[in-house]
Amino acid sequence: MSSLSRVAYSLARREFTRFIRQKQRVIGTVAQPLLFWLFLGAGFAGSFRPAGMENVTYLEYFYPGVMLMMMLFASIFSSITIIEDRDAGFLQGVLVAPVSRLAIVLGKVLGATAIAMVQTLIFTLAAPFLGLHLGFGSLVMLLAAFLLTGIGFSALGFLLAWGMKTTSAFHAVMMVFLMPLWMLSGALFPLGNVPAAMKVVMLANPVSHALIIIRAPFYAGPQTLLADSSYLLSLAVTIAWAVLCLGLSMARVEKREKGVAL
Amino acid sequence: MITIDTLTHIYPGSRKTPARAAISALSLDIKDGEFVILSGPNGSGKSTLFRILCGLALPSSGSVRVGGFDLFAQPAKVREIMGVVFQSPAVDKHLSVGENLAIHADLYGLRGAAFTASRDEAVGWTDLGDRLDQKVETLSGGLARQVELAKVLMTNPRILLLDEPTTGLDPVSRRNFLAALHKLQKQRGMTVLMTSHVFSEADDVDRVAIMREGKLLAFDTPQALKAMIGTEMVVIHAKDTEGLAGRLRADMGLAVRVIGDEVRLEETENGESLPLLERILNRYRPDILTISIKQPGLDDVFVHVTSKAVPDHALTLDLKRTGT
Repeated sequence: MSSLSRVAYSLARREFTRFIRQKQRVIGTVAQPLLFWLFLGAGFAGSFRPAGMENVTYLEYFYPGVMLMMMLFASIFSSITIIEDRDAGFLQGVLVAPVSRLAIVLGKVLGATAIAMVQTLIFTLAAPFLGLHLGFGSLVMLLAAFLLTGIGFSALGFLLAWGMKTTSAFHAVMMVFLMPLWMLSGALFPLGNVPAAMKVVMLANPVSHALIIIRAPFYAGPQTLLADSSYLLSLAVTIAWAVLCLGLSMARVEKREKGVAL
Repeated sequence: MITIDTLTHIYPGSRKTPARAAISALSLDIKDGEFVILSGPNGSGKSTLFRILCGLALPSSGSVRVGGFDLFAQPAKVREIMGVVFQSPAVDKHLSVGENLAIHADLYGLRGAAFTASRDEAVGWTDLGDRLDQKVETLSGGLARQVELAKVLMTNPRILLLDEPTTGLDPVSRRNFLAALHKLQKQRGMTVLMTSHVFSEADDVDRVAIMREGKLLAFDTPQALKAMIGTEMVVIHAKDTEGLAGRLRADMGLAVRVIGDEVRLEETENGESLPLLERILNRYRPDILTISIKQPGLDDVFVHVTSKAVPDHALTLDLKRTGT
Protein backbone atom coordinates (compact mmCIF):
# COMPACT_ATOMS: atom_id res chain seq x y z
CA MET A 1 0.00 0.00 0.00
CA SER A 2 1.27 3.45 -0.89
CA SER A 3 1.97 5.68 2.02
CA LEU A 4 -1.03 7.64 3.20
CA SER A 5 0.63 11.03 3.15
CA ARG A 6 2.00 10.68 -0.36
CA VAL A 7 -1.35 9.72 -1.85
CA ALA A 8 -3.18 12.43 0.10
CA TYR A 9 -0.59 15.00 -0.99
CA SER A 10 -0.81 13.93 -4.62
CA LEU A 11 -4.61 14.18 -4.64
CA ALA A 12 -4.60 17.48 -2.74
CA ARG A 13 -2.08 18.93 -5.17
CA ARG A 14 -4.40 18.01 -8.02
CA GLU A 15 -7.21 20.02 -6.37
CA PHE A 16 -4.96 23.02 -5.98
CA THR A 17 -3.59 22.84 -9.53
CA ARG A 18 -7.09 22.75 -10.92
CA PHE A 19 -8.10 25.73 -8.78
CA ILE A 20 -5.11 27.87 -9.77
CA ARG A 21 -5.73 27.20 -13.47
CA GLN A 22 -9.24 28.63 -13.25
CA LYS A 23 -8.53 32.35 -13.08
CA GLN A 24 -12.19 33.38 -12.79
CA ARG A 25 -12.66 31.06 -9.83
CA VAL A 26 -9.65 32.58 -8.06
CA ILE A 27 -10.81 36.15 -8.65
CA GLY A 28 -14.47 35.45 -7.90
CA THR A 29 -13.88 33.69 -4.62
CA VAL A 30 -11.70 36.50 -3.28
CA ALA A 31 -13.70 39.42 -4.68
CA GLN A 32 -17.15 38.26 -3.58
CA PRO A 33 -16.54 38.17 0.19
CA LEU A 34 -14.52 41.38 -0.06
CA LEU A 35 -17.47 43.21 -1.63
CA PHE A 36 -19.81 41.58 0.87
CA TRP A 37 -17.67 42.85 3.71
CA LEU A 38 -17.24 46.39 2.37
CA PHE A 39 -20.89 46.92 1.49
CA LEU A 40 -22.38 45.42 4.66
CA GLY A 41 -19.68 47.06 6.72
CA ALA A 42 -20.45 50.47 5.26
CA GLY A 43 -24.21 49.97 5.49
CA PHE A 44 -24.33 48.89 9.12
CA ALA A 45 -21.61 51.25 10.30
CA GLY A 46 -24.12 53.78 11.71
CA SER A 47 -26.51 51.40 13.45
CA PHE A 48 -24.01 48.98 15.01
CA ARG A 49 -23.76 49.88 18.71
CA PRO A 50 -23.79 46.71 20.84
CA ALA A 51 -23.29 47.15 24.60
CA GLY A 52 -19.64 46.87 25.60
CA MET A 53 -18.33 47.21 22.04
CA GLU A 54 -18.43 50.96 21.64
CA ASN A 55 -14.92 51.10 20.21
CA VAL A 56 -15.50 48.46 17.55
CA THR A 57 -16.69 49.51 14.09
CA TYR A 58 -18.96 47.13 12.24
CA LEU A 59 -16.30 46.72 9.57
CA GLU A 60 -13.98 45.43 12.26
CA TYR A 61 -16.62 43.30 13.97
CA PHE A 62 -17.61 41.68 10.72
CA TYR A 63 -14.01 41.09 9.56
CA PRO A 64 -13.45 37.68 11.25
CA GLY A 65 -17.02 36.79 10.25
CA VAL A 66 -16.11 37.26 6.60
CA MET A 67 -12.96 35.22 7.11
CA LEU A 68 -15.09 32.47 8.56
CA MET A 69 -17.44 32.74 5.62
CA MET A 70 -14.54 32.43 3.21
CA MET A 71 -13.12 29.40 4.98
CA LEU A 72 -16.52 27.78 5.27
CA PHE A 73 -17.81 28.30 1.79
CA ALA A 74 -14.56 27.95 -0.11
CA SER A 75 -13.69 24.68 1.60
CA ILE A 76 -17.17 23.26 1.21
CA PHE A 77 -17.47 24.32 -2.42
CA SER A 78 -14.08 22.84 -3.19
CA SER A 79 -14.82 19.53 -1.56
CA ILE A 80 -18.11 19.06 -3.37
CA THR A 81 -16.11 18.75 -6.58
CA ILE A 82 -16.21 15.09 -5.56
CA ILE A 83 -19.55 15.07 -7.42
CA GLU A 84 -17.80 16.21 -10.61
CA ASP A 85 -15.01 13.71 -10.04
CA ARG A 86 -17.52 10.90 -9.88
CA ASP A 87 -19.34 12.19 -12.95
CA ALA A 88 -16.20 12.63 -15.00
CA GLY A 89 -14.94 9.17 -14.11
CA PHE A 90 -11.83 10.27 -12.24
CA LEU A 91 -13.11 9.02 -8.88
CA GLN A 92 -13.61 5.40 -9.96
CA GLY A 93 -9.94 5.20 -10.91
CA VAL A 94 -8.97 6.37 -7.44
CA LEU A 95 -11.37 3.98 -5.74
CA VAL A 96 -9.93 0.89 -7.44
CA ALA A 97 -6.36 1.93 -6.60
CA PRO A 98 -4.62 0.22 -3.69
CA VAL A 99 -4.84 3.25 -1.42
CA SER A 100 -6.28 3.71 2.05
CA ARG A 101 -9.76 5.18 2.01
CA LEU A 102 -8.63 7.81 4.49
CA ALA A 103 -6.08 9.02 1.91
CA ILE A 104 -8.92 9.57 -0.58
CA VAL A 105 -10.83 11.69 1.96
CA LEU A 106 -7.73 13.57 3.10
CA GLY A 107 -6.69 14.32 -0.47
CA LYS A 108 -9.95 16.09 -1.16
CA VAL A 109 -10.24 17.72 2.28
CA LEU A 110 -6.67 19.04 2.45
CA GLY A 111 -6.85 20.27 -1.15
CA ALA A 112 -10.07 22.14 -0.37
CA THR A 113 -8.60 23.53 2.86
CA ALA A 114 -5.50 24.76 1.06
CA ILE A 115 -7.63 26.53 -1.54
CA ALA A 116 -9.76 28.17 1.16
CA MET A 117 -6.70 29.21 3.15
CA VAL A 118 -5.03 30.92 0.21
CA GLN A 119 -8.14 33.01 -0.37
CA THR A 120 -8.57 33.86 3.28
CA LEU A 121 -4.91 34.76 3.70
CA ILE A 122 -5.19 37.27 0.88
CA PHE A 123 -8.08 38.79 2.79
CA THR A 124 -5.95 38.84 5.96
CA LEU A 125 -3.84 41.54 4.31
CA ALA A 126 -6.67 43.98 5.13
CA ALA A 127 -6.07 43.64 8.88
CA PRO A 128 -3.63 46.57 9.26
CA PHE A 129 -6.15 48.94 7.64
CA LEU A 130 -8.55 48.16 10.48
CA GLY A 131 -5.89 48.91 13.04
CA LEU A 132 -5.58 45.22 13.90
CA HIS A 133 -2.06 43.97 14.39
CA LEU A 134 -1.09 40.35 14.48
CA GLY A 135 2.04 39.27 16.27
CA PHE A 136 3.87 36.15 15.08
CA GLY A 137 2.28 33.98 17.76
CA SER A 138 -1.20 35.26 16.97
CA LEU A 139 -0.65 34.69 13.26
CA VAL A 140 0.23 31.06 13.97
CA MET A 141 -2.92 30.74 16.10
CA LEU A 142 -4.96 32.28 13.29
CA LEU A 143 -3.50 29.88 10.71
CA ALA A 144 -4.24 26.94 12.99
CA ALA A 145 -7.83 28.17 13.33
CA PHE A 146 -8.15 28.42 9.52
CA LEU A 147 -6.69 24.94 9.10
CA LEU A 148 -9.02 23.30 11.64
CA THR A 149 -12.07 25.11 10.30
CA GLY A 150 -11.15 24.21 6.74
CA ILE A 151 -10.64 20.53 7.54
CA GLY A 152 -13.85 20.24 9.55
CA PHE A 153 -16.08 21.91 7.01
CA SER A 154 -14.56 20.52 3.85
CA ALA A 155 -14.98 17.08 5.42
CA LEU A 156 -18.62 18.01 6.09
CA GLY A 157 -18.96 19.04 2.44
CA PHE A 158 -17.39 15.75 1.38
CA LEU A 159 -19.76 13.80 3.57
CA LEU A 160 -22.84 15.61 2.25
CA ALA A 161 -21.73 15.45 -1.37
CA TRP A 162 -20.61 11.81 -1.45
CA GLY A 163 -24.01 10.32 -2.20
CA MET A 164 -25.29 13.18 -4.36
CA LYS A 165 -25.68 12.97 -8.10
CA THR A 166 -25.70 16.65 -8.98
CA THR A 167 -24.30 19.83 -7.51
CA SER A 168 -27.70 21.53 -7.67
CA ALA A 169 -28.99 19.32 -4.83
CA PHE A 170 -25.99 20.46 -2.86
CA HIS A 171 -26.78 24.14 -3.34
CA ALA A 172 -30.22 23.56 -1.83
CA VAL A 173 -28.69 21.94 1.27
CA MET A 174 -26.27 24.80 1.44
CA MET A 175 -28.93 27.52 1.53
CA VAL A 176 -31.24 25.92 4.10
CA PHE A 177 -28.60 24.39 6.34
CA LEU A 178 -25.17 25.94 6.11
CA MET A 179 -26.10 29.57 5.51
CA PRO A 180 -28.25 29.71 8.69
CA LEU A 181 -25.45 28.07 10.68
CA TRP A 182 -23.14 30.84 9.57
CA MET A 183 -25.69 33.56 10.34
CA LEU A 184 -26.30 32.10 13.80
CA SER A 185 -22.60 31.88 14.58
CA GLY A 186 -22.13 35.47 15.65
CA ALA A 187 -20.44 36.35 12.38
CA LEU A 188 -23.06 38.95 11.46
CA PHE A 189 -24.14 40.15 14.92
CA PRO A 190 -23.00 39.52 18.51
CA LEU A 191 -24.53 36.64 20.43
CA GLY A 192 -25.28 38.85 23.45
CA ASN A 193 -28.52 40.50 22.33
CA VAL A 194 -30.59 37.53 21.16
CA PRO A 195 -33.31 35.50 22.91
CA ALA A 196 -32.11 32.66 25.16
CA ALA A 197 -33.45 29.91 22.92
CA MET A 198 -31.53 31.21 19.96
CA LYS A 199 -28.44 31.50 22.09
CA VAL A 200 -28.54 27.76 22.82
CA VAL A 201 -28.67 27.09 19.11
CA MET A 202 -25.72 29.39 18.61
CA LEU A 203 -23.62 27.61 21.21
CA ALA A 204 -24.43 24.15 19.89
CA ASN A 205 -23.42 25.35 16.45
CA PRO A 206 -19.88 24.24 15.50
CA VAL A 207 -19.60 27.30 13.25
CA SER A 208 -19.84 29.60 16.32
CA HIS A 209 -16.83 27.90 17.86
CA ALA A 210 -14.87 28.20 14.65
CA LEU A 211 -15.64 31.93 14.68
CA ILE A 212 -14.38 32.27 18.27
CA ILE A 213 -11.00 30.74 17.47
CA ILE A 214 -10.67 32.85 14.32
CA ARG A 215 -11.60 36.12 16.04
CA ALA A 216 -9.59 35.65 19.24
CA PRO A 217 -6.01 35.89 17.82
CA PHE A 218 -6.73 39.47 16.65
CA TYR A 219 -7.28 40.59 20.24
CA ALA A 220 -4.93 38.47 22.36
CA GLY A 221 -1.60 36.67 22.20
CA PRO A 222 -1.13 32.89 22.42
CA GLN A 223 -0.34 32.92 26.15
CA THR A 224 -3.55 34.68 27.09
CA LEU A 225 -5.61 32.52 24.76
CA LEU A 226 -4.23 29.19 25.87
CA ALA A 227 -5.12 30.10 29.44
CA ASP A 228 -8.67 31.09 28.54
CA SER A 229 -11.18 28.30 29.17
CA SER A 230 -13.81 29.52 26.72
CA TYR A 231 -11.19 29.72 23.94
CA LEU A 232 -9.96 26.22 24.81
CA LEU A 233 -13.51 24.90 24.76
CA SER A 234 -14.08 26.32 21.26
CA LEU A 235 -10.74 24.94 20.11
CA ALA A 236 -11.66 21.50 21.45
CA VAL A 237 -15.09 21.62 19.78
CA THR A 238 -13.53 22.59 16.44
CA ILE A 239 -10.98 19.78 16.64
CA ALA A 240 -13.64 17.26 17.64
CA TRP A 241 -15.82 18.44 14.76
CA ALA A 242 -12.98 17.94 12.27
CA VAL A 243 -12.20 14.46 13.60
CA LEU A 244 -15.87 13.49 13.56
CA CYS A 245 -16.46 14.65 9.98
CA LEU A 246 -13.25 13.00 8.74
CA GLY A 247 -14.17 9.74 10.44
CA LEU A 248 -17.69 9.74 9.04
CA SER A 249 -16.41 10.56 5.55
CA MET A 250 -13.94 7.71 5.68
CA ALA A 251 -16.63 5.29 6.81
CA ARG A 252 -18.80 6.51 3.94
CA VAL A 253 -16.08 5.86 1.34
CA GLU A 254 -15.31 2.49 2.89
CA LYS A 255 -18.90 1.38 2.53
CA ARG A 256 -19.53 -0.42 -0.75
CA GLU A 257 -22.98 -0.57 -2.27
CA LYS A 258 -24.31 -4.03 -1.42
CA GLY A 259 -26.86 -6.25 -3.11
CA VAL A 260 -29.81 -7.26 -0.94
CA ALA A 261 -30.52 -10.80 0.22
CA LEU A 262 -33.24 -12.86 -1.39
CA MET B 1 -6.78 -16.39 -11.56
CA ILE B 2 -10.37 -15.16 -11.26
CA THR B 3 -12.80 -17.65 -9.72
CA ILE B 4 -16.40 -16.57 -9.45
CA ASP B 5 -18.55 -18.96 -7.44
CA THR B 6 -22.38 -18.87 -7.44
CA LEU B 7 -22.48 -15.11 -7.45
CA THR B 8 -25.86 -13.45 -6.99
CA HIS B 9 -26.56 -9.74 -6.94
CA ILE B 10 -30.00 -8.34 -6.24
CA TYR B 11 -30.72 -4.63 -6.47
CA PRO B 12 -33.07 -3.45 -3.76
CA GLY B 13 -36.54 -2.54 -4.98
CA SER B 14 -38.45 0.60 -4.14
CA ARG B 15 -42.18 1.23 -3.79
CA LYS B 16 -42.56 1.44 -7.55
CA THR B 17 -40.07 -1.18 -8.72
CA PRO B 18 -39.64 -4.70 -7.32
CA ALA B 19 -36.21 -5.98 -6.30
CA ARG B 20 -34.33 -7.15 -9.36
CA ALA B 21 -31.69 -9.86 -9.70
CA ALA B 22 -28.92 -8.55 -11.93
CA ILE B 23 -26.79 -11.68 -11.49
CA SER B 24 -28.13 -15.05 -10.46
CA ALA B 25 -25.92 -17.92 -9.28
CA LEU B 26 -23.18 -17.19 -11.79
CA SER B 27 -19.98 -19.24 -11.72
CA LEU B 28 -16.98 -18.61 -13.95
CA ASP B 29 -13.35 -19.61 -13.78
CA ILE B 30 -10.70 -17.66 -15.66
CA LYS B 31 -7.23 -19.20 -15.83
CA ASP B 32 -3.92 -17.48 -15.37
CA GLY B 33 -2.82 -15.68 -18.53
CA GLU B 34 -6.14 -16.10 -20.31
CA PHE B 35 -7.76 -13.42 -22.47
CA VAL B 36 -11.51 -13.59 -21.94
CA ILE B 37 -14.26 -11.49 -23.46
CA LEU B 38 -17.47 -11.12 -21.52
CA SER B 39 -20.46 -10.32 -23.62
CA GLY B 40 -24.20 -10.04 -23.34
CA PRO B 41 -27.13 -7.88 -24.39
CA ASN B 42 -27.89 -4.63 -22.57
CA GLY B 43 -29.18 -5.33 -19.09
CA SER B 44 -27.58 -8.79 -18.97
CA GLY B 45 -25.71 -8.01 -15.75
CA LYS B 46 -22.28 -7.42 -17.33
CA SER B 47 -21.84 -4.01 -15.80
CA THR B 48 -22.94 -5.19 -12.38
CA LEU B 49 -20.48 -8.08 -12.59
CA PHE B 50 -17.77 -5.65 -13.63
CA ARG B 51 -18.49 -3.34 -10.69
CA ILE B 52 -18.30 -6.29 -8.31
CA LEU B 53 -15.06 -7.57 -9.84
CA CYS B 54 -13.30 -4.25 -9.51
CA GLY B 55 -14.40 -4.05 -5.90
CA LEU B 56 -16.88 -1.16 -6.15
CA ALA B 57 -19.91 -3.19 -5.10
CA LEU B 58 -20.64 -6.15 -2.86
CA PRO B 59 -22.92 -8.95 -4.09
CA SER B 60 -25.92 -10.42 -2.29
CA SER B 61 -24.18 -13.78 -2.04
CA GLY B 62 -21.42 -15.88 -3.55
CA SER B 63 -17.67 -15.50 -3.58
CA VAL B 64 -14.96 -14.20 -5.88
CA ARG B 65 -11.27 -15.05 -5.57
CA VAL B 66 -8.78 -12.99 -7.54
CA GLY B 67 -5.14 -14.07 -7.67
CA GLY B 68 -5.71 -16.23 -4.60
CA PHE B 69 -7.30 -13.47 -2.50
CA ASP B 70 -10.89 -13.21 -1.39
CA LEU B 71 -12.13 -10.10 -3.17
CA PHE B 72 -14.66 -9.20 -0.49
CA ALA B 73 -12.53 -9.89 2.59
CA GLN B 74 -9.21 -8.56 1.24
CA PRO B 75 -10.06 -5.88 -1.33
CA ALA B 76 -6.79 -4.03 -0.68
CA LYS B 77 -4.73 -7.09 -1.69
CA VAL B 78 -6.69 -7.51 -4.90
CA ARG B 79 -6.39 -3.81 -5.78
CA GLU B 80 -2.61 -4.17 -5.77
CA ILE B 81 -2.53 -6.75 -8.56
CA MET B 82 -5.41 -5.47 -10.63
CA GLY B 83 -5.67 -2.78 -13.28
CA VAL B 84 -9.04 -1.43 -14.39
CA VAL B 85 -9.96 0.39 -17.59
CA PHE B 86 -13.42 1.92 -17.29
CA GLN B 87 -15.89 2.72 -20.00
CA SER B 88 -15.71 6.41 -19.14
CA PRO B 89 -11.98 7.10 -18.82
CA ALA B 90 -10.79 7.67 -15.26
CA VAL B 91 -8.61 10.63 -16.10
CA ASP B 92 -8.73 14.29 -15.13
CA LYS B 93 -9.36 16.10 -18.40
CA HIS B 94 -8.16 19.41 -17.01
CA LEU B 95 -4.69 18.05 -16.32
CA SER B 96 -1.98 17.13 -18.79
CA VAL B 97 -1.20 13.56 -19.83
CA GLY B 98 1.99 13.63 -17.75
CA GLU B 99 0.16 14.94 -14.67
CA ASN B 100 -2.44 12.21 -14.95
CA LEU B 101 0.25 9.57 -15.18
CA ALA B 102 2.07 11.08 -12.19
CA ILE B 103 -1.07 10.96 -10.02
CA HIS B 104 -1.66 7.37 -11.06
CA ALA B 105 1.92 6.51 -10.14
CA ASP B 106 1.43 8.09 -6.72
CA LEU B 107 -1.70 6.03 -6.18
CA TYR B 108 0.24 2.86 -6.92
CA GLY B 109 3.36 3.82 -4.99
CA LEU B 110 5.59 4.24 -8.03
CA ARG B 111 8.17 6.97 -7.68
CA GLY B 112 11.51 8.32 -8.78
CA ALA B 113 13.45 6.41 -11.40
CA ALA B 114 11.03 3.46 -11.29
CA PHE B 115 8.20 5.85 -12.19
CA THR B 116 10.07 7.45 -15.07
CA ALA B 117 11.09 4.07 -16.46
CA SER B 118 7.62 2.52 -16.31
CA ARG B 119 6.03 5.69 -17.60
CA ASP B 120 8.31 5.77 -20.63
CA GLU B 121 7.70 2.09 -21.28
CA ALA B 122 3.93 2.46 -20.98
CA VAL B 123 3.89 5.55 -23.19
CA GLY B 124 5.99 3.60 -25.70
CA TRP B 125 2.98 1.33 -26.23
CA THR B 126 0.88 4.30 -27.27
CA ASP B 127 1.06 7.29 -29.60
CA LEU B 128 1.36 9.69 -26.69
CA GLY B 129 5.14 10.06 -26.80
CA ASP B 130 5.24 13.78 -27.63
CA ARG B 131 2.01 14.71 -25.92
CA LEU B 132 2.86 14.43 -22.24
CA ASP B 133 2.42 18.18 -21.73
CA GLN B 134 -0.93 18.37 -23.49
CA LYS B 135 -4.12 18.55 -21.48
CA VAL B 136 -6.26 15.45 -21.87
CA GLU B 137 -9.28 17.53 -22.94
CA THR B 138 -7.39 18.61 -26.07
CA LEU B 139 -6.80 15.01 -27.19
CA SER B 140 -9.00 13.00 -29.55
CA GLY B 141 -11.17 10.21 -28.16
CA GLY B 142 -8.72 7.56 -29.31
CA LEU B 143 -5.73 9.25 -27.73
CA ALA B 144 -7.64 9.87 -24.49
CA ARG B 145 -8.31 6.13 -24.35
CA GLN B 146 -4.61 5.52 -24.80
CA VAL B 147 -3.92 7.67 -21.74
CA GLU B 148 -6.12 5.28 -19.81
CA LEU B 149 -4.26 2.29 -21.21
CA ALA B 150 -0.85 3.84 -20.53
CA LYS B 151 -1.93 4.55 -16.96
CA VAL B 152 -2.88 0.96 -16.34
CA LEU B 153 0.19 -0.49 -18.05
CA MET B 154 2.53 1.63 -15.98
CA THR B 155 1.72 -0.32 -12.85
CA ASN B 156 2.16 -3.70 -14.58
CA PRO B 157 -0.96 -5.43 -13.24
CA ARG B 158 -1.27 -9.22 -13.26
CA ILE B 159 -4.95 -8.90 -13.99
CA LEU B 160 -6.52 -6.36 -16.28
CA LEU B 161 -10.25 -5.63 -16.35
CA LEU B 162 -11.62 -3.56 -19.21
CA ASP B 163 -15.20 -2.33 -19.57
CA GLU B 164 -16.07 -1.79 -23.24
CA PRO B 165 -12.81 0.04 -23.78
CA THR B 166 -13.33 0.56 -27.51
CA THR B 167 -16.68 2.37 -27.20
CA GLY B 168 -16.61 5.55 -29.23
CA LEU B 169 -13.44 4.74 -31.13
CA ASP B 170 -13.21 4.80 -34.90
CA PRO B 171 -12.30 1.46 -36.56
CA VAL B 172 -8.61 2.33 -36.94
CA SER B 173 -8.18 3.47 -33.34
CA ARG B 174 -10.11 0.41 -32.20
CA ARG B 175 -7.82 -1.91 -34.12
CA ASN B 176 -4.69 -0.19 -32.82
CA PHE B 177 -5.95 -0.33 -29.26
CA LEU B 178 -6.74 -4.03 -29.50
CA ALA B 179 -3.49 -4.87 -31.26
CA ALA B 180 -1.51 -3.17 -28.48
CA LEU B 181 -3.61 -4.94 -25.87
CA HIS B 182 -3.12 -8.39 -27.39
CA LYS B 183 0.61 -7.94 -27.85
CA LEU B 184 0.99 -6.79 -24.29
CA GLN B 185 -1.13 -9.53 -22.88
CA LYS B 186 1.05 -12.14 -24.57
CA GLN B 187 4.30 -10.47 -23.64
CA ARG B 188 3.45 -9.96 -19.98
CA GLY B 189 1.27 -13.02 -19.52
CA MET B 190 -1.52 -10.86 -18.10
CA THR B 191 -4.94 -12.25 -17.38
CA VAL B 192 -7.41 -10.06 -19.24
CA LEU B 193 -11.17 -9.85 -18.83
CA MET B 194 -12.85 -7.42 -21.19
CA THR B 195 -16.53 -6.72 -21.70
CA SER B 196 -17.48 -6.00 -25.27
CA HIS B 197 -20.38 -5.81 -27.67
CA VAL B 198 -18.22 -5.93 -30.76
CA PHE B 199 -17.65 -9.47 -31.89
CA SER B 200 -14.94 -8.74 -34.36
CA GLU B 201 -12.92 -8.15 -31.19
CA ALA B 202 -13.58 -11.64 -29.90
CA ASP B 203 -12.18 -13.78 -32.69
CA ASP B 204 -8.62 -14.03 -31.44
CA VAL B 205 -9.23 -14.28 -27.70
CA ASP B 206 -8.92 -17.45 -25.64
CA ARG B 207 -12.50 -17.74 -24.47
CA VAL B 208 -15.77 -15.89 -24.78
CA ALA B 209 -18.39 -15.77 -22.04
CA ILE B 210 -21.95 -14.84 -22.98
CA MET B 211 -24.40 -13.66 -20.33
CA ARG B 212 -28.09 -12.99 -20.41
CA GLU B 213 -30.42 -11.99 -17.58
CA GLY B 214 -27.70 -12.50 -15.04
CA LYS B 215 -26.86 -16.05 -16.08
CA LEU B 216 -23.92 -17.47 -17.95
CA LEU B 217 -25.24 -18.99 -21.19
CA ALA B 218 -22.00 -20.03 -22.82
CA PHE B 219 -18.30 -19.95 -22.01
CA ASP B 220 -15.94 -21.48 -24.55
CA THR B 221 -13.33 -20.83 -27.22
CA PRO B 222 -14.51 -18.83 -30.24
CA GLN B 223 -14.07 -21.94 -32.43
CA ALA B 224 -16.18 -24.15 -30.20
CA LEU B 225 -18.88 -21.50 -30.00
CA LYS B 226 -19.06 -21.16 -33.76
CA ALA B 227 -19.28 -24.94 -34.11
CA MET B 228 -22.44 -24.79 -31.96
CA ILE B 229 -24.48 -23.42 -34.86
CA GLY B 230 -23.40 -25.68 -37.70
CA THR B 231 -20.94 -24.65 -40.33
CA GLU B 232 -23.05 -22.51 -42.62
CA MET B 233 -26.42 -20.87 -42.59
CA VAL B 234 -28.96 -19.48 -44.98
CA VAL B 235 -30.27 -16.03 -44.10
CA ILE B 236 -33.42 -14.64 -45.73
CA HIS B 237 -34.93 -11.17 -45.59
CA ALA B 238 -38.58 -11.49 -46.55
CA LYS B 239 -41.49 -9.14 -47.16
CA ASP B 240 -43.45 -11.00 -44.47
CA THR B 241 -40.94 -12.57 -42.12
CA GLU B 242 -43.29 -14.59 -39.92
CA GLY B 243 -45.42 -15.69 -42.87
CA LEU B 244 -42.49 -17.04 -44.84
CA ALA B 245 -41.01 -18.77 -41.79
CA GLY B 246 -44.35 -20.50 -41.19
CA ARG B 247 -44.56 -21.70 -44.78
CA LEU B 248 -40.95 -22.94 -44.80
CA ARG B 249 -41.74 -24.97 -41.70
CA ALA B 250 -45.05 -26.33 -43.01
CA ASP B 251 -44.26 -26.84 -46.71
CA MET B 252 -40.61 -27.84 -46.59
CA GLY B 253 -40.20 -29.14 -43.03
CA LEU B 254 -37.28 -26.84 -42.37
CA ALA B 255 -36.16 -25.90 -38.83
CA VAL B 256 -36.13 -22.15 -39.35
CA ARG B 257 -35.86 -19.45 -36.72
CA VAL B 258 -36.94 -15.86 -36.86
CA ILE B 259 -34.41 -13.50 -35.40
CA GLY B 260 -35.28 -9.84 -35.71
CA ASP B 261 -36.28 -9.30 -39.33
CA GLU B 262 -34.35 -12.33 -40.56
CA VAL B 263 -35.41 -15.90 -41.25
CA ARG B 264 -32.49 -18.21 -40.50
CA LEU B 265 -31.63 -21.80 -41.28
CA GLU B 266 -28.78 -22.31 -38.88
CA GLU B 267 -27.93 -26.00 -38.80
CA THR B 268 -26.96 -26.53 -42.39
CA GLU B 269 -24.14 -28.92 -43.32
CA ASN B 270 -21.37 -27.74 -45.63
CA GLY B 271 -22.33 -28.05 -49.28
CA GLU B 272 -26.06 -28.34 -48.60
CA SER B 273 -26.67 -24.64 -48.39
CA LEU B 274 -26.51 -23.82 -52.07
CA PRO B 275 -29.04 -26.46 -53.27
CA LEU B 276 -31.28 -25.49 -50.36
CA LEU B 277 -31.04 -21.83 -51.29
CA GLU B 278 -32.01 -22.68 -54.87
CA ARG B 279 -35.02 -24.71 -53.76
CA ILE B 280 -36.26 -21.95 -51.51
CA LEU B 281 -35.69 -19.31 -54.16
CA ASN B 282 -37.59 -21.29 -56.82
CA ARG B 283 -40.57 -21.73 -54.61
CA TYR B 284 -40.86 -18.37 -52.81
CA ARG B 285 -39.09 -15.90 -55.09
CA PRO B 286 -41.83 -13.18 -54.94
CA ASP B 287 -41.76 -13.15 -51.10
CA ILE B 288 -37.99 -12.83 -50.76
CA LEU B 289 -36.09 -9.55 -50.65
CA THR B 290 -32.61 -11.02 -50.18
CA ILE B 291 -31.23 -14.48 -49.52
CA SER B 292 -27.66 -15.41 -48.70
CA ILE B 293 -25.31 -18.07 -47.37
CA LYS B 294 -23.32 -17.00 -44.38
CA GLN B 295 -20.39 -18.43 -42.45
CA PRO B 296 -21.33 -18.10 -38.81
CA GLY B 297 -19.40 -15.47 -36.92
CA LEU B 298 -19.38 -14.82 -33.21
CA ASP B 299 -22.17 -12.31 -33.57
CA ASP B 300 -24.33 -15.12 -34.95
CA VAL B 301 -23.40 -17.25 -31.96
CA PHE B 302 -24.40 -14.37 -29.75
CA VAL B 303 -27.77 -14.01 -31.46
CA HIS B 304 -28.27 -17.78 -31.39
CA VAL B 305 -27.46 -18.14 -27.70
CA THR B 306 -29.13 -15.06 -26.33
CA SER B 307 -32.40 -15.37 -28.25
CA LYS B 308 -33.07 -19.02 -27.35
CA ALA B 309 -35.70 -18.32 -24.74
CA VAL B 310 -37.52 -15.23 -25.86
CA PRO B 311 -38.31 -12.99 -22.90
CA ASP B 312 -41.97 -12.16 -22.25
CA HIS B 313 -41.89 -8.54 -23.33
CA ALA B 314 -40.38 -9.50 -26.72
CA LEU B 315 -43.18 -12.03 -27.24
CA THR B 316 -45.91 -9.49 -26.70
CA LEU B 317 -44.15 -7.14 -29.08
CA ASP B 318 -44.07 -9.80 -31.77
CA LEU B 319 -47.75 -10.58 -31.25
CA LYS B 320 -48.62 -6.96 -31.68
CA ARG B 321 -46.59 -6.75 -34.84
CA THR B 322 -48.28 -9.73 -36.48
CA GLY B 323 -51.69 -8.42 -35.36
CA THR B 324 -51.42 -5.17 -37.29
